[in-house]
Amino acid sequence: MPRLPRAVSLVLCAVCALAACGRFADRSTRATQHARVVSVSKQINEFLYAIGGQSDLVAVDLTSIYPPEIRTLPTVGYHRALSAEGIISMRPTLFLTDGNVGPDAVLQQLRAVGIPIEVMRPGGTLDSAEILLTNLGRYFHREQAADSVLARWKTGMSAVWADTARWNSQRRPRVLLMHFGQIINNYLAVNRGSPADQMIRWAGGENAMDSLGGMTRITPELIARAAPDVIIATEVGFDRYGDAKQFAAMPGISLTPAGRSGRIYRITEQEVMYFGPRTPATVKKIAAMLHP
Amino acid sequence: MVELRGVSYQVDRTVILHDITTRFQPNRFNVILGPNGAGKSTLLRVATGLLQPTAGDVRYGDQVVSSFSATDLARKRAVLSQHVELAFALTVEDVALMGRYPHYERVPSRRDRDIVQQALALVGMDDKRRQQYPTLSGGEQQKVQLARVLAQIWNDGDGAEHTYLFLDEPTTSLDVHYQIHLLDVARGLLHHDCTIVAILHDLNVAFQYGDVFFVMDAGRLAHVATAAAEVSRDLIERVFQVQAHRIHDPDTGDAVWRFALQSNGRRGGTGT
Amino acid sequence: MLKHLSFRQTYWLLGVLLVVAIVASAAIGAFSFTPAQMVRYLGQAAGWLPAVPGDTLGRNVLLGLRLPRVFVAGLTGAVLGVSGTLMQGLFRNPIVEPGLVGTSAGAALGAALVFVFGSGTALAFTHPLGSFAVPVAAFIVGFAATMLVHRLSTSFGKVNVFTLLLAGIAVNAVCGAGTGFLSYIARDPQARNITFWNLGTFTTADWRGVELIGVFFGLSFIWALRYGKALNALMLGENEAAYLGVNPRRLILWLLVVNTIMVAVATAMVGVIAFVGLVIPHVLRMMKSADYNFLLPASALLGAVLMEVIDIVARVIIPPAELPIGIITAVVGAPVFLGILLRQTRRGGSGFYG
Repeated sequence: MPRLPRAVSLVLCAVCALAACGRFADRSTRATQHARVVSVSKQINEFLYAIGGQSDLVAVDLTSIYPPEIRTLPTVGYHRALSAEGIISMRPTLFLTDGNVGPDAVLQQLRAVGIPIEVMRPGGTLDSAEILLTNLGRYFHREQAADSVLARWKTGMSAVWADTARWNSQRRPRVLLMHFGQIINNYLAVNRGSPADQMIRWAGGENAMDSLGGMTRITPELIARAAPDVIIATEVGFDRYGDAKQFAAMPGISLTPAGRSGRIYRITEQEVMYFGPRTPATVKKIAAMLHP
Repeated sequence: MVELRGVSYQVDRTVILHDITTRFQPNRFNVILGPNGAGKSTLLRVATGLLQPTAGDVRYGDQVVSSFSATDLARKRAVLSQHVELAFALTVEDVALMGRYPHYERVPSRRDRDIVQQALALVGMDDKRRQQYPTLSGGEQQKVQLARVLAQIWNDGDGAEHTYLFLDEPTTSLDVHYQIHLLDVARGLLHHDCTIVAILHDLNVAFQYGDVFFVMDAGRLAHVATAAAEVSRDLIERVFQVQAHRIHDPDTGDAVWRFALQSNGRRGGTGT
Repeated sequence: MLKHLSFRQTYWLLGVLLVVAIVASAAIGAFSFTPAQMVRYLGQAAGWLPAVPGDTLGRNVLLGLRLPRVFVAGLTGAVLGVSGTLMQGLFRNPIVEPGLVGTSAGAALGAALVFVFGSGTALAFTHPLGSFAVPVAAFIVGFAATMLVHRLSTSFGKVNVFTLLLAGIAVNAVCGAGTGFLSYIARDPQARNITFWNLGTFTTADWRGVELIGVFFGLSFIWALRYGKALNALMLGENEAAYLGVNPRRLILWLLVVNTIMVAVATAMVGVIAFVGLVIPHVLRMMKSADYNFLLPASALLGAVLMEVIDIVARVIIPPAELPIGIITAVVGAPVFLGILLRQTRRGGSGFYG
């Protein structure tokens, strides 16, 4: 990922840290049961709450903010900037992660002290996400809840795909999904092949970006070439401007069909960046944006 | 004695000193005179061993300067420069103590400290020895530098060797009081087995304090005079491109020079 | 206030402060230890006391995580303090420290090169051969960067402070761009580590790190102590120092080499930490003396103390998470830097310091 001048990175981190201060002060007194789980993946945490397996959680990472109840838990920091001591001080019986943790030494240090580590990789497909949910259900002895959530999820997806067929017969609007990268302090466009791109396609849209994989840094030329009919921005990036009209005033955007028609919408990062039980609802939401 | 044999100094294509052979007399105040750009500073730096001549050699007594170790050389010869800038606040004592650095390894001895004390007293800066150097006036700072330099080649008369003191325009930007004080103290060293070589820009001051005069012109030694009287008016007018005019102090009989710019290169003026 | 104490008394005072800081740093954090616990754990580890099963976690955390971290922090502080002192002697200017003249940034770039092209940080930290690649690369690039700044800012033997700062900014920017580019092209795990480590951290400290930094600091420090006199003489200018028997060219070169080795090893272990080298000598000069015979040992002690305190702050401000060290040093150091700069321009005028 491109990197900012160090000084601005420092300030950003300080701001992030201060903004999250409230979450750091709180110490949960709940987890008196035998299991104490520290989980530093927002996707895994969302799934845990979905299947009602959250009672063992004692601490989470900074980016786990859904569902809102999770914010009452203390956090051990940004998942790529963890400290072993902080995690160990929560006296965990399990450290749960999706594999995306840093620095590398942290895992070794946890193992050295004898903390069990469980890595559950969510993968990038709908199927792998469903498997993750099932695994979590089994691990936390919430198989029934997991099964019922999964069933509802699958039903939802079937309904989504039925609609997809309908929309595919029409002209599919070009959609640009814009995410704001806080570390690099710039907007990014989501490319093809990602979960978000998949959701757009299910909603009967077409990704305005041609590239495959990951995200691309936004430039006015890029936006002009993409010429999207609809722009969907994740919450941090959208909220920097406040509303669709102000957002449309960004250089390059005002000249696009989306900018001119004011079809700029807001969505939360956690709805589109990975597959989950909320995906059917998310796709419906996107479809409403694309086919008013 | 400082002896130069066939000394030349060249930087790239430019020759700054041309084949200079001469001797700076021991126990005498040797003065190098000459206009700007004549090579005085370069000559001094070669004589101190800071610069290596591109031809010829410099000897102190019998030994070639370049054969001395850095520490040995520092124990026998010291240089007082025009202006020493100090970025950090050291005390007067600390600065003067630096003169003894070539004489001790890690910790200064009792004797080292005594010498510094005496040197500071000699220049009249003893009572200010705890003061911060940057807070001193220009003249006071130069006195402290002189104390440092004196401490470096301090000769107690305990059978120590001959020492060498070089002064590179040490009185520039000092008022007349400091000028005289400094040169008086310097001359005092002549009684302690020392060779002094100084660059002085003020001809009258030079003639007042100097014993032997080395007149430089365009990188060459134009004339060596063993008395102020030997420096002729012709020589001064030619080398310095001025009209020179010698008058005599009615009280002491000493010669004093007055100068004016030449008009159309013609020599003029009245007097001797 | 320190002016009334002798040098030796000052060293004792700083030494006592350091011991207190070390004990405090060992005790305080997300994981807290009482003095009794610490003594017990140490006793168990040394075999003097029988091991109690309930103590295992606490003991492992104290000995495996906390203590190495405490020592790495102290040693890094000493490295940075002494480095700032050496560099200020070298450039004859108080606004100099490894973070400002490119040494740290260069070391960071060197390390990043190994991270990205040397198959990942896991290799660098655990593999025996890889563990040398990072400090060596950090040294080479850090040295080149510092030499470049030195060359650019010196003319006719004098150091122009403004050119120095500008050259430092330029070289820092180039190294930063290089590191940024490397994180851009790096695959995910490596890039993560570069970004995080650019802010300085002690969380990855282990006993191996203590040994490495300890050895290189020890050697460099012992060497540097011999040159207190020479550094003082250098304050008068290169010519004057030469007249006093010092070889300025050789001294400057060796100073640079030794200093860069120290900083490179520390930076390779803990990342980039700025401003400490600036603050420590400045405070010591203000409170006591500018004599390098004093500054060298004192800056090692005070640097260690400061770093312990900063590390404690980093750990207690947002528990159980931690603030990166670089943020705190910037918050403390930047105002000091501005203060020195203002004082210089008010007093100095031309900005030349020969």
